[in-house]
Amino acid sequence: MGHGEKGRPNKKHKSSAKEDHRNIVEDEDAYYGEEVDDDNRDGEKKRDFTKLELKPDHANRPLWACADGRIFLETFSPLYKQAYDFLIAIAEPVCRPESMHEYNLTPHSLYAAVSVGLETETIIAVLNKLSKTKLPKEMIDFIHASTANYGKVKLVLKKNRYFVESPFPEVLKKLLKDEAIAKARINAEVSNGSDGFTISKAKGEIGTGHEDLLSGAEVAAAAEEKETHAFEVDPAQVENVKQRCLPNALNYPMLEEYDFRNDTVNPDLDMELKPHAQPRPYQEKSLSKMFGNGRARSGIIVLPCGAGKSLVGVSAACRIKKSCLCLATNAVSVDQWAFQFRLWSTIREDQICRFTSDSKERFRGNAGVVVTTYNMVAFGGKRSEESEKIIEEIRNREWGLLLMDEVHVVPAHMFRKVISITKSHCKLGLTATLVREDERITDLNFLIGPKLYEANWLDLVKGGFIANVQCAEVWCPMTKEFFAEYLKKENSKKKQALYVMNPNKFRACEFLIRFHEQQRGDKIIVFADNLFALTEYAMKLRKPMIYGATSHVERTKILEAFKTSKEVNTVFLSKVGDNSIDIPEANVIIQISSHAGSRRQEAQRLGRILRAKGKLQDRMAGGKEEYNAFFYSLVSTDTQEMYYSTKRQQFLIDQGYSFKVITSLPPPDTGADLSYHSLQDQLALLSKVLSAGDDAVGLEQLEEDADDIALHKARRFMGSMSAMSGANGMVYMEYSTGRKMLGHMKGKPKDPAKRHHLFKRRFT
Amino acid sequence: MPEVKIIAKNFMDMVASLPAMKLDKLYDNAFICEAILRSLPPLAKKYVLQMLYIDSPITAKSMEVWVLPDGSSKHRVAIDRLIQLRVFSETVDRRKETTYKINPTFQTNLQKLLTHGEVLPREPMPSNITVRLPSMEDLDVYAIGQWECFLLQLISSAQAERPSNISSSMMKVFQRGLLSQRDKEAPRLTESGFQFLLMDTNAQLWYIIREYISNSEERGVDPADLISFLLELSFHVTGEAYNSNTLTEVQRNTIKDLTDLGLVKLQQGRKESWFIPTKLATNLSVSLTDSSSRKQGFVVVETNFRLYAYSTSKLHCEILRLFSRVEYQLPNLIVGAITKESLYNAFENGITADQIISFLQQNAHPRVAERIPTVPENVTDQIRLWESDLNRVEMTPAHYYDEFPSREIFEAACDHAREWNGLLWEDSKPR
Repeated sequence: MGHGEKGRPNKKHKSSAKEDHRNIVEDEDAYYGEEVDDDNRDGEKKRDFTKLELKPDHANRPLWACADGRIFLETFSPLYKQAYDFLIAIAEPVCRPESMHEYNLTPHSLYAAVSVGLETETIIAVLNKLSKTKLPKEMIDFIHASTANYGKVKLVLKKNRYFVESPFPEVLKKLLKDEAIAKARINAEVSNGSDGFTISKAKGEIGTGHEDLLSGAEVAAAAEEKETHAFEVDPAQVENVKQRCLPNALNYPMLEEYDFRNDTVNPDLDMELKPHAQPRPYQEKSLSKMFGNGRARSGIIVLPCGAGKSLVGVSAACRIKKSCLCLATNAVSVDQWAFQFRLWSTIREDQICRFTSDSKERFRGNAGVVVTTYNMVAFGGKRSEESEKIIEEIRNREWGLLLMDEVHVVPAHMFRKVISITKSHCKLGLTATLVREDERITDLNFLIGPKLYEANWLDLVKGGFIANVQCAEVWCPMTKEFFAEYLKKENSKKKQALYVMNPNKFRACEFLIRFHEQQRGDKIIVFADNLFALTEYAMKLRKPMIYGATSHVERTKILEAFKTSKEVNTVFLSKVGDNSIDIPEANVIIQISSHAGSRRQEAQRLGRILRAKGKLQDRMAGGKEEYNAFFYSLVSTDTQEMYYSTKRQQFLIDQGYSFKVITSLPPPDTGADLSYHSLQDQLALLSKVLSAGDDAVGLEQLEEDADDIALHKARRFMGSMSAMSGANGMVYMEYSTGRKMLGHMKGKPKDPAKRHHLFKRRFT
Repeated sequence: MPEVKIIAKNFMDMVASLPAMKLDKLYDNAFICEAILRSLPPLAKKYVLQMLYIDSPITAKSMEVWVLPDGSSKHRVAIDRLIQLRVFSETVDRRKETTYKINPTFQTNLQKLLTHGEVLPREPMPSNITVRLPSMEDLDVYAIGQWECFLLQLISSAQAERPSNISSSMMKVFQRGLLSQRDKEAPRLTESGFQFLLMDTNAQLWYIIREYISNSEERGVDPADLISFLLELSFHVTGEAYNSNTLTEVQRNTIKDLTDLGLVKLQQGRKESWFIPTKLATNLSVSLTDSSSRKQGFVVVETNFRLYAYSTSKLHCEILRLFSRVEYQLPNLIVGAITKESLYNAFENGITADQIISFLQQNAHPRVAERIPTVPENVTDQIRLWESDLNRVEMTPAHYYDEFPSREIFEAACDHAREWNGLLWEDSKPR
């Protein structure tokens, strides 16, 4: 396994990846467009920092910092909690298993740090305090260089006027030298040589939580009142000004803050959290990062699936108390979001509405919450009259909060479109898996804002907030016949179908379903990306299934039955089930096929069962149900799947999960209890796989409907000639006649007595 | 303990293998007798004590009465061991009756020990003469330091930080079997060399001492003398100073070598010089599997196959490098990753999965040592699976024949091979 780690990608790699990024967005693979990465993990290079000077009391300090930006944190240090909060604010977590965490300082992570109010000197001082060694000079320089420009300029919306704010007048002057920005400025009466900046005083950031690590003097310096200088810009030009400030131009990316308390123009929305909605400590923390200085910051909050992202979203909306536009990935999750709003907040029924292709509601009054999909907003084609009206309303309204779910799935161009269409004061992105080498994350950083908070999965598991999942990789040996076909060149397009339909895998799957349904009474989701396999498995085992073409009504029906009925304990899902479908009842996942090496898909799927069930004390470490959720990944040994499988698990492994390898499933004594026991059955299955058209056994192609996200602009068919010619499914087979012909052609009938006994039989 | 072929299980095996003459002579030394008694299996110990004051031979029959029926195998083992060590002598008289008698020298020595109590081989020097004695911790650090320095020098002479007293010819003796050197190439560790490095310190020390003893004759030193001196040394008190004057010429030379191994520390006063035994010396006669002597662990293995070693030692780094990819070296931490490649490398060098796993388990950092399992299960499983992966293909040496002039000859050849049970594979398709 490549258990190295992601080093900071080098410059060269970055730029080249950016170029072909555009190309692959078109491609199917862009769905999880992350295969680019990985191999820039630092190969054999080892780094020797033994020369760093250890401080005499190093045993009491929790971390090591290396000159290349890598930071190691001991989790058993008494200072762990403080150090963790600090590191998560300034660095990207690389891996966070039980005893030792690794982090990387990157320009992005430092940007995020600066934007939540940490200053360069504070970062260095705290880091130095926590470090066992003297800080390497390279690291100090790096922090200086990376934070020199970040966080210096803020875009603030006050009383519906946009101000560019900065404590550094010289920076503002620099910005104003830019033509576009100068033009956007309002009120530029430069009198007698002064700059004409509005000067106000503001309290420094408080409540960042790192005070205890700083000496009194340092805290005083950080909390000291600061003069901020500002100039106003034309609201129509705001996007322009923002563009000019991005790293590819002036490189003073602006932080966006919304002074919602003083916003008198936009009507207030009367909504509060219901008393039973008690945010958990980490939810509080993430919100405090967002509302750190009394204003609302734009940014992204990363919480594992099932850890209560929706409560964070709803809480944020309740604090801002303005109109809120909530974007989800599909109609099912739109319903779920609307439900969450009603569940957690006191919002009136008529103030919340859904806008999808099926339900076009509008809220009453002058403020409200609209839940819709990215697609509905970004849709470029012709709309129905009714939709057109609603969209017009969305366009014209000033939204207090733009709440975006599952930001990692949405391609950048779609974001640009959505953000340009909707005017919002504050943007909050929610996701579970911000897989980092993905270039799209860079876009997110500037389109939405920096990562405000990221929770540690293991800490949440320990706290009992999410389920403690037992992950297992089940090795299913290929049967001889399937493997022989797998190796044939002419079957290259059927490889996937062959290793997914491997009878041993089927039997393992059947065994696991039986075990969990009958012995434990669990609810099971079976995931298969391969549509052919999905149908075959579901039909043979007589279980319901949901895939791209399943209608919304039918989906809802199946999910409802799964939730309530005692008869329906297993459901088969294609990759439509990866994101956002909320199935809190499920606690077992069996994955029979997957999208190549996508770590994110693996994490998302695991997320389906992370929601904690049962009593809290049972779930805590040592409780009576320490493991109450199970994630099985079935792989056929000696096939591509093995390679992909190790790749896919990387993200979860970095979060501290471990995969147990199981090699003996189903147990040998099960025999004919399970399907495909006899060789005959297996061969029948094999010929079924082989006779299916290539297109039928390939990956599922998600239909592009106005409801689901268009993940790819163009749909590319991997069609076979046979399918197009209409001869789909018919096979031409050769029988023994050929051999006879051959014999005749040689024209020399052999004396049967001379023939080898093995061949004798064949000819008589 | 990794199962290691290259090692006689303990000191006593070596003693047992000495010729009878030498062995009898050894028992003149009371400390040897005590050490031998300690090393015996429990039942054998009991027999010795039971027969300590019996001067006449005991028949095997009457001894068998002492044992419960299901203890007979233990009884056999005990008797065998006693005879092997010549503590008991066995005689078969005319009536075919077997009798056992305890070795008289051994007997008197033990009797003396019982009546007069334990006597130290040497009196420690009074503290007014010996100044600046090292503290116990310093001494431990010193011992480990010396030992590791020696090991580094052993596995690659270039890496040693300071020259040692051990002659290069002596070093060659130690390296024999651990390193192999093909002409002009840098010496490479052999399979047993790798295994050696993964063993715990006591086992390693024993291996070296054994080589040292077996080589002694070439240096003109009687192995029996050496053994008795080493055993004697193990009865000294750790950390006390002993006057070098009390040593014989041979012993004084030996002590110099032992200094390099970290068994003793030499100090020079104004007039006198003295040696201070370290923990390594006093543990010498302790049975190898005794875990009390084990040093504190330093390795943390995580579920993501990353490995963190709290160590400043170059040697540890070299050892970890045998089966993992070392990525970061910090002042007191080594960071590595166990990867498929690094393990395949290790397997190729003859290290087994079990050895790696037990190394990781034995050296687990106290922080994770109480955790069960100390090394995450998924990691140990995976290491074993990778190893068994390598063993899936079985190699059979074979000859390949093709381009048969005719079908008949091909078939006849196949038939012939089949008759001899030697046909591995045939492809009868015409080309």
